[in-house]
Amino acid sequence: MQYILDYVAAAILGAALLLIILNANDTSAESHSLYNGDALVQEILVQTVFLLEGELRNMGVGVPENQGCILRADTSTIWFLYDIDRNAIPDTVRYYSGSVDEFAPTPNELDRPLYRKVNSEKSLVVGSVTIFRFRYLTRLGQALSTPVVAGQLSEIHSVEITMEVQNPYAMSRSEKQVGAGERNALYSSSIWQQTRLASQNNRR
Amino acid sequence: MAGKAALVLVIGFMILLGYVSRDLSVIAGRAQGNMSTYAAATESHNLAITGANAGLARLYQDTSWRGSRTQELSGAADRSFTYTVSTGANGRPFLRSVSLVRGPFETLGDTVEVEFGAQTLQTFTLFAWMTNFEGNIFWITGDTVWGRVHSNSLMHVNGQPVFMEKVTTAKSFDPKPGVGQNKAIFKNGYETGVAPIKFPDDLSQISAAAASGGRLYAGDVTVELKGGTAASGDGYVEVYSGATKIDSFEINSATFNGALGATGRVSVSGVVDGKISIFSTTNVYVLDDITYENKTTASDDVLGLISEADVTIADSPGNKTNVNIDGSIFCRSGSLKAENYNSGSPRGVFNMFGSIVQDTRGAVGTFSGSTLKTGYYKRYRYDERLSEPSFRPPWYPGFYTTTFAISCWWESVHIPKFN
Repeated sequence: MQYILDYVAAAILGAALLLIILNANDTSAESHSLYNGDALVQEILVQTVFLLEGELRNMGVGVPENQGCILRADTSTIWFLYDIDRNAIPDTVRYYSGSVDEFAPTPNELDRPLYRKVNSEKSLVVGSVTIFRFRYLTRLGQALSTPVVAGQLSEIHSVEITMEVQNPYAMSRSEKQVGAGERNALYSSSIWQQTRLASQNNRR
Repeated sequence: MAGKAALVLVIGFMILLGYVSRDLSVIAGRAQGNMSTYAAATESHNLAITGANAGLARLYQDTSWRGSRTQELSGAADRSFTYTVSTGANGRPFLRSVSLVRGPFETLGDTVEVEFGAQTLQTFTLFAWMTNFEGNIFWITGDTVWGRVHSNSLMHVNGQPVFMEKVTTAKSFDPKPGVGQNKAIFKNGYETGVAPIKFPDDLSQISAAAASGGRLYAGDVTVELKGGTAASGDGYVEVYSGATKIDSFEINSATFNGALGATGRVSVSGVVDGKISIFSTTNVYVLDDITYENKTTASDDVLGLISEADVTIADSPGNKTNVNIDGSIFCRSGSLKAENYNSGSPRGVFNMFGSIVQDTRGAVGTFSGSTLKTGYYKRYRYDERLSEPSFRPPWYPGFYTTTFAISCWWESVHIPKFN
């Protein structure tokens, strides 16, 4: 009889411990995914921003002084001149965001590609963004309405960039974890705003 | 038996918790590593820019300096920048700044390169408006300038004048743009604190040209410009001393180099067909309209009115109702102004097509609010042909820029690599 009681108690204790272990493993995996997703998203964002900011700072390099360097400026696209390979021939560089349909295969329904196009070469995807927005400011800090009309392109002194990157893959949440207006899926996200990016070549 | 099971259980727990702990510490370590990498990349970039600015400061102290300097950050031997100023293939200075940052995982270096424009002879006609001294005259709402503007002095603004091209000043604006009543619109930007542009010490260059290959008269003269027929290139000049005609010649004559001047007052009027500069070692008077026969962009008609002191719109019968001047005006030590600008009845509009460069800003009228009381309203329009440096009136004064202007600023694009 005593043995039976020992076995039952051991089984109950073992089952409880097993549940604790499984729960701990679950929590660990969730935390790992969450933090890993956050880190990944931040790395992607920073790398994309360094590329974008670096090229915008070089707007006008190799462009004659009496010639404007911004060719077109809109909310989600910018065209500018920059002699990338320093061969005395200015290249036309264009950054623009695509549509969400182009990234339809990813579970995240908000992400879309960020393209970089040089001259007439094929556009290259340089990042994945969920928000990608430009604002154009005059020297006095006044925002120009977009798209900036041709006659006002020369008034652009600085560019404000707002960008958000989200993890294409989500973690599902239970109903009670989802707030009003939120998606069921939890996507790691990171946002960046550069409020005053001015090319030195604009001062000429 | 139970004791062994407990031991197995404890060991199992230790393995599991150890695994979880290791996992979390790896992520924490990666986050910290990313932060360090980002900080090092940003620091490297900013150091390179700092080096470029330090190099610029050194070069602008002495534009003939060439060499290299390395500077370590105070208390941080693993962070430094080196700037080098050399002479480029084009003969102009070339500045390169390179940073060095020893980061946690790698050594980083960024580069900034600065190229400079040539110190070429510029003509004053590049400016639609230029002054040595603005005096206490304000740019106000309704003023619109097409073409570049420069002043060697403080520029006063009260209202919303519109500058269609770049505005530069060796001093600053009063008040600063966007502050107080300065609501000026700069369509092509502005720059303050630029190097002053020096006026020539005298008019000896054009005087010498007039004396050799041009026309130089003693005393006061009156110059009547005649357009000839409607055809281009047959304009001529009649010169009077008092009522006596003392000279007459074709502007495009092979024996005339384009410079006409006098040691006394020169009074001018008429129609210009050709290229000519008229100067006086005292003052120039505009007796009546001076217009180009052909005012299109394809025209080669161009006039310079150059004066040691003032260019004055005479209070003459021809100027009682409006006055039109097509040409480039240069007043070396005086002003462009209207005679008796502050008395009499309003005289209409002063239409200027060309460029105005004067030592001290002069007055052409007085106003009550925006209503003309005496003198003229102003309508100044820049002659876009003058923005091409090679197109200018013959022997028109020029200047050398005293510092090297930055023509190109390039920064390396460094994308951080995360672990």
